[in-house]
Amino acid sequence: MSNNRVSRRQFLSYTLTGVGGFMAAGMLMPMLRFAIDPVLQKHDGGDFVETEHKIADLTEEPVKVDFSFEQVDAWYKSNVTNVAWVYKDGDQIIALSPVCKHLGCMVDWNGDSAHPGQFFCPCHAGRYEKNGKNIAGTPPLGPLDEFDVQEKDGYLMIGPAKANTLVK
Amino acid sequence: MYFNANDVTSFLGQKDFIDTAIVPLISIDLSSEKIKQSGAEVDFVMSLTSFIEQQFKGRLLVMPPFSHMTSLKNEELPQQFETQLHSAGFKHVFFITCDHSWTNIGDIVNIIWLPAIPLESMDASVKKSILEDQLRQVVPMLSTKWAQI
Repeated sequence: MSNNRVSRRQFLSYTLTGVGGFMAAGMLMPMLRFAIDPVLQKHDGGDFVETEHKIADLTEEPVKVDFSFEQVDAWYKSNVTNVAWVYKDGDQIIALSPVCKHLGCMVDWNGDSAHPGQFFCPCHAGRYEKNGKNIAGTPPLGPLDEFDVQEKDGYLMIGPAKANTLVK
Repeated sequence: MYFNANDVTSFLGQKDFIDTAIVPLISIDLSSEKIKQSGAEVDFVMSLTSFIEQQFKGRLLVMPPFSHMTSLKNEELPQQFETQLHSAGFKHVFFITCDHSWTNIGDIVNIIWLPAIPLESMDASVKKSILEDQLRQVVPMLSTKWAQI
């Protein structure tokens, strides 16, 4: 018992070290948190969104697939529903954005009876081939955008849009 | 396109392509028995207009809603509004409303009248399919006018 006696001096130095340690930690932790902040940021835009379409149901014929996600615009939160035209090309699943590259209308598959098997924009008669390639002579100047796709439990998941990779 | 700074900038650059103006016509009734109905109508007209805008963004400019009190209704104003829009270069002007009394000037200006569907208690997917159905009613009116030139 007498060996373990803590002297007043020791007690004070332990206490001060302890309290000082807490104070230092209290200052250093937020600094460290700020320093590594970019790593901890949430990436809202890059997430894949689950849809109600099964991969197995997809065919070579493009179908309209709805997917919705929450969009935060400053303090205003809204549920945005987006659309993709999805079809199978061999084993590959292709999801194209329906937004016309001319002025942003929604294109329709087989929308023009005179040109079947093409995407058609009702606003200014812009047309695209099945892989999204814009047809020369119509207003659009670039191919339709493409979405990244993933599979989860047999269901289709749609990711961020990217420039069309199918058109050479 | 909407009537805001960004969209108007692109409108100015693409005037040849954007030849249609859409004006939501809104009647505000503040009497205690009708105020709720009035609110539901505005909700419906504005949701439908945004949906039309989303589908045909590149061909039309959606004007800020043209609203008036039911007691202060003036049938001349939409006509004057239309004349102004025509002289500003819009080939087609459509007014979209839930107020049936506007259909009496339907011979002079293009009035798209649709009965208001209360959207407030629907969940998002039902709401979307209802709006898609309504859009299917509106599209022929737009495309016949567009096909006339």
